[in-house]
Amino acid sequence: MNTFSMLILGLMIIGSVAVSYVKNLMSAVIVFMIYSLMMAVLWEQLNAPDLAITEAAVGAGITTVLFVLAIRRVRRKVS
Amino acid sequence: MTTPIIRRIVGWLLPFLWIFSFYIMLFGHLSPGGGFSGGSVLGACLILDRHVNGANAFGARFTGERLLKLSLAALLLYGILKGQSFLAGVLHMNGLPIPLGTPGNILSSGLILPLNVLVGIVVAVAFYLIATLFEEGHL
Repeated sequence: MNTFSMLILGLMIIGSVAVSYVKNLMSAVIVFMIYSLMMAVLWEQLNAPDLAITEAAVGAGITTVLFVLAIRRVRRKVS
Repeated sequence: MTTPIIRRIVGWLLPFLWIFSFYIMLFGHLSPGGGFSGGSVLGACLILDRHVNGANAFGARFTGERLLKLSLAALLLYGILKGQSFLAGVLHMNGLPIPLGTPGNILSSGLILPLNVLVGIVVAVAFYLIATLFEEGHL
C-alpha cells in the first residue's frame, strides 16, 4: 500500500468519524458523499475499477440524492 | 433547488454522462464496468434530468407504467436467456455459446452483452422510479 492509498484511507477515517459529529444534516450528507468518493478512489488504487465505478455512481450519486430528498421532505413536515 | 448554475452545468454534463453509461453497459465484458454499474450511472442521469428539467419530454413519454413494463420485459428476457443457458448446462446440451471474448471485438462474447444491457435497463428503471416516487409521491 503506497502513500497515496494511506492518505485516502486517513481521509476516509476522518470523514466517517466527522459524519456523526457534524450538526447540520445537509453537511453530514455532503461529508458522507466525500467518504464514498474517497472509497471509490481507494477501490481504484486496489485494482478494482469495476467496483470504483459502482461505488461512485451509487454511493456518491444516488444515495446522496435520496438523503437530500429525505431531508427536504422531513423539513417540510416539521416546519 | 434548481438554480441557473445547476441547470447550465447539467445541460453540459448530461450528454457525456449518457454516453459514458452506455459505454459502461456495452463494454462491460471487455473492460471495467458491467450491467449494474452502467445501469446505476444511467439511473443517476435520469434522476438528474428529472430533477432539473422537471417532467419534460422524457417524463411525458416514459411514464411510470411504461417504464415498469419495460423493466418487466427486460427481466423476463433475462430469465429466459439465463434459464436456457442454465438448463442447457444441466442437461449437457449445446445452448447459446458464451465464449471468453477478445478485447476490441464487442460481439465476441455471445450472450454476455445482451445480459449486461438487460440488467442495466432493470437497474436504471428501478433507481429512477425509486427517486421519482420519493420526490413526487406518485409515479
